[in-house]
Amino acid sequence: MKNTILRGKKISKTFIQSGKEIQILINIDVDIYEGDFTVIMGSSGAGKSTLLYALSGMDAITGGSVKFKGQEISKLSEKKMAKLRANEFGFVFQQTHLVSNLTLFENVAVAGLVAKAGSVKEIYEKTNMLLLKMHAGDAKDRLPSQVSGGEAQRAAIARAMIGNPGLLFADEPTGALNKSNSQEVMSLFTELNKDGQSILMVTHDVRAALHGNRILYLEDGKILDELNLPPYAHDDLKVRETKVNNWLSSLQW
Amino acid sequence: MGNKTLLKANIKRHKGTLFGIFILTLLVAAALGTVLTIWSNSERYIQSELNRAGFGKLTAWVANISDTKELENSMESLEEIERVEAQSLIYSNYTANGIESDSEGQLIVYSPIENRYRFFTDDLSEYTDAPDTIPSGKVYVSPSMVQLLDIRIGDEITFPIARAGGDLTLTVIGFFEDPFMGSSMIGMKAFLISESDRYLALDLIRKAEMDALARDGAMLHIFPTEESGLTASDQNRLLNEQTRLAEYTEAVHSKDAIAGFMLILQNAFSGLLLAFVAVLLFVVLIVLSHSISSTIASDFVNMGILKTIGLTATRLRLLQLMQYLIPAALGLAVGFLLSVPLGKMVADATLTSTGVRIPATPPVLFSIAAFILIALLLAGFIFIRTRKISKITPLKAIRGETDSATKQIKQPAAFGGGLHIRLAFRQLVSGKNRYFGALVVAFLLVFFLSLVGRMDSWLGSDGKGMMNAFNPADHDIGVQSFGELTQEEFEKTIEQYTDITDTYVLAMPTASFNGISYTANVIDEPERFHILEGRTCTADNEIVITEFIAANFDMEVGDTVNVRGDSGSGEYVVSGVYSCANDMGDNFGMNREGYLKIGKDHSNLWCWHYFLADSLQKAAIIEGLESAYGGDIHVHENTWPGLFGIISAMQALTQLMYALTIVFIFIVTALTGSKILSAEQKDLSIYKAIGFSSASLRLTFALRFAMTALLGSVAGTALAAVFADPIVSSVMKLVGISNFSSNPNVIAVALPAVAVTILFTGFGWLSAGKIKLVPFTVLIAEL
Repeated sequence: MKNTILRGKKISKTFIQSGKEIQILINIDVDIYEGDFTVIMGSSGAGKSTLLYALSGMDAITGGSVKFKGQEISKLSEKKMAKLRANEFGFVFQQTHLVSNLTLFENVAVAGLVAKAGSVKEIYEKTNMLLLKMHAGDAKDRLPSQVSGGEAQRAAIARAMIGNPGLLFADEPTGALNKSNSQEVMSLFTELNKDGQSILMVTHDVRAALHGNRILYLEDGKILDELNLPPYAHDDLKVRETKVNNWLSSLQW
Repeated sequence: MGNKTLLKANIKRHKGTLFGIFILTLLVAAALGTVLTIWSNSERYIQSELNRAGFGKLTAWVANISDTKELENSMESLEEIERVEAQSLIYSNYTANGIESDSEGQLIVYSPIENRYRFFTDDLSEYTDAPDTIPSGKVYVSPSMVQLLDIRIGDEITFPIARAGGDLTLTVIGFFEDPFMGSSMIGMKAFLISESDRYLALDLIRKAEMDALARDGAMLHIFPTEESGLTASDQNRLLNEQTRLAEYTEAVHSKDAIAGFMLILQNAFSGLLLAFVAVLLFVVLIVLSHSISSTIASDFVNMGILKTIGLTATRLRLLQLMQYLIPAALGLAVGFLLSVPLGKMVADATLTSTGVRIPATPPVLFSIAAFILIALLLAGFIFIRTRKISKITPLKAIRGETDSATKQIKQPAAFGGGLHIRLAFRQLVSGKNRYFGALVVAFLLVFFLSLVGRMDSWLGSDGKGMMNAFNPADHDIGVQSFGELTQEEFEKTIEQYTDITDTYVLAMPTASFNGISYTANVIDEPERFHILEGRTCTADNEIVITEFIAANFDMEVGDTVNVRGDSGSGEYVVSGVYSCANDMGDNFGMNREGYLKIGKDHSNLWCWHYFLADSLQKAAIIEGLESAYGGDIHVHENTWPGLFGIISAMQALTQLMYALTIVFIFIVTALTGSKILSAEQKDLSIYKAIGFSSASLRLTFALRFAMTALLGSVAGTALAAVFADPIVSSVMKLVGISNFSSNPNVIAVALPAVAVTILFTGFGWLSAGKIKLVPFTVLIAEL
């Protein structure tokens, strides 16, 4: 029996555009389990990222509720939400989104300091360790504009991990990377997940989605279906890929 | 049409910044217009009113003259003199509202036919018709008496004409404009009285004989011929040599010197405010510079696109020029218009200090010239600052390239303890260009406020600095006997209150210095003079002179000068240069023995100056002496009533400068802050995403301004420590004060820096309120 780490109940999100109401998410019920690598897929405009940000408390929802480890977070104050993001959530974005005027080391260390993830010395050591683990150690003293996209994204993952998050959110983390960098980033995610890290990732890249053990398919603001897979391993990659592709085809992907 | 559309769009897009520039230029123009109005009108008005009041190129105040007409005739007989007009008066001390004046008043008979003076309504709000006559028992006074002695209509002023009850008491029935003695900077005051009261006073003087306290006298307005090329000093020398004027002279002043006395306050404060306006104008340029750079950076792509559709760099620059010049010109225009009511407000507010109602009509040509000059300066500056637009190429813009080079960070920040401070410092260092404007503004404002603060420190809450500058030597109180009362008698009274720790005597007769009448400060202990150069006059053939006399006569220590007193003349050697701003520095010092070689000695000549063991007893001692001896003595402190008017005016000016500083810092911070916030939207979202709260981001934002302002403030304070005193000294020399040294305390030194840093921090925090509204959506690639 898996533990639910994040639960969304009847989540709805509505925009008003030119006086017209547009429903992006429609009464979505979803549970994210501890230790899972959950992937949200769907066609462009299906509401994947909106769901991710709704579940992470980054974006306000119009209706429903979101509970993290049993605590309702959709109505938390700005200060409590900031604390939750610092201590329990990690974020990896498509465009890396590192602070432009801080070095990679500083970007990671600042997040650790905000999360109060140990003493200053411990945080610095952990920053160095994480950057080395993410193969970004050589670039640690450079600004984001001075490193490759892959290096920046790996540093962003290190930043997301510095506070030992309960759940790592990733929004199209390979969307802006070339093939080799994408593979490297996904391998890192897999390793993290193997170590017990819960991950919730949005992607439209099937090869990236293969790394998850649970795939949710979103269409027109609703979860149409989900596919459960065994944990990712290289040896069953072809079988896994076929299974996922067949499933997606059945959903008219 | 295209230009209009683009301009409207630009203005709409940057309306906050442009509104800020409008407000800044408005404040600059309003302050400048007001200063120009006061400065230009006061000089012109004083001159015209001195003419109306009948002042000649030279005016001599004479007393105890046996035959005024004969002296007039002897002067008019000189080839260089066209005519002499006499205005009879009586010199007398006076008491009002329980306060005894420390300078003599001049009771002048009012003659409506002469039309010499203008009169005010009772509430001093406007002019009123001159009265046909002044009833006996009534008196008109200068509005500065309101500030000096809290005089109101209906109050009584007592003039001790003679001992043993020989007082003349008159009731105030109105105020008149006195272009000479009106200013609270001048101790002497004029009173307009009826002819019958003058006869009454003269009768009291005549009957009292030796017991008379008041003196009959006159003002002799001396007009040279049109052909005469003599300066006022030359005229004075000629009259002293060729007539008996020097024997009767109490004081002699040229019309220019009188105007100088009257304009001391206006010119000093106008000069300070004008310098402050220059600082503010510089601040406007800095704000403009920062806004233009930020606008070009944020509109980089748009400008590239506009170039692809055929707009030239020059056209884009002209559009930017118009975008900034329109609000700046509007600000200047509205500011200059506002200066009209402001000028009137200042004229109204300063009436009781200056004694004259300075016309509030702005000097139109002068103002237009200033407007055009500033507009041209701004236009030129904007056009130069937009030259980067020429470097934008369509391809570069569309590719999203900017001209900002990325630098390698050599030393990563240690974020250890004090995360917010260290992060703020890191952000500040990496984006230093954005804060440069705020840094310079803090530096300039602190420097200028320090300069004003040092003047305040020098002046002190009791005006000690000013008094030391004007008095030839320090003291707690001075006592002058007018009758038989001996020094021993009044010293006994003083010692009932506190011990006398030290004493010396000083006299201030008029003597001619190389033929020109000046006040001689005669002292029995010449080592008390404030010597600036050489040594004091210890021998009986030595004198000390002020820096101004030294400059006017091209004299230096060791030179010889002829001094004539009321009993003879002699040659004296200049032994030193001393400091005394009386008569705007037109005075010299001698020792007692030296003066008595050329001047008559009499007991009433000397004023005894005392240092008290408990100086807090001064007020009680003065009251005790006055009640014991009445008009037989004159007691004064090391102050004069007008001093408090100056202190108040200085405090008001300082407050005004701080008010303008607050507004400027608010606008500078708001403009700089909004540009930085706009440029850092994404970074702020990232910080939020990793767990920073809006409040902590707001704190780091405010801290960046705090650090910038602190750096600028420290630099401004340091520069002020080196240059403020010399700069203020050079200004003070214009009014005869040559020994300016502020010696400010720690609070006075730190206050401007602390105030400016707190203001920047506070306003930085306020302008960072928008951080709460920064959305995460900028981080989302696809919804």
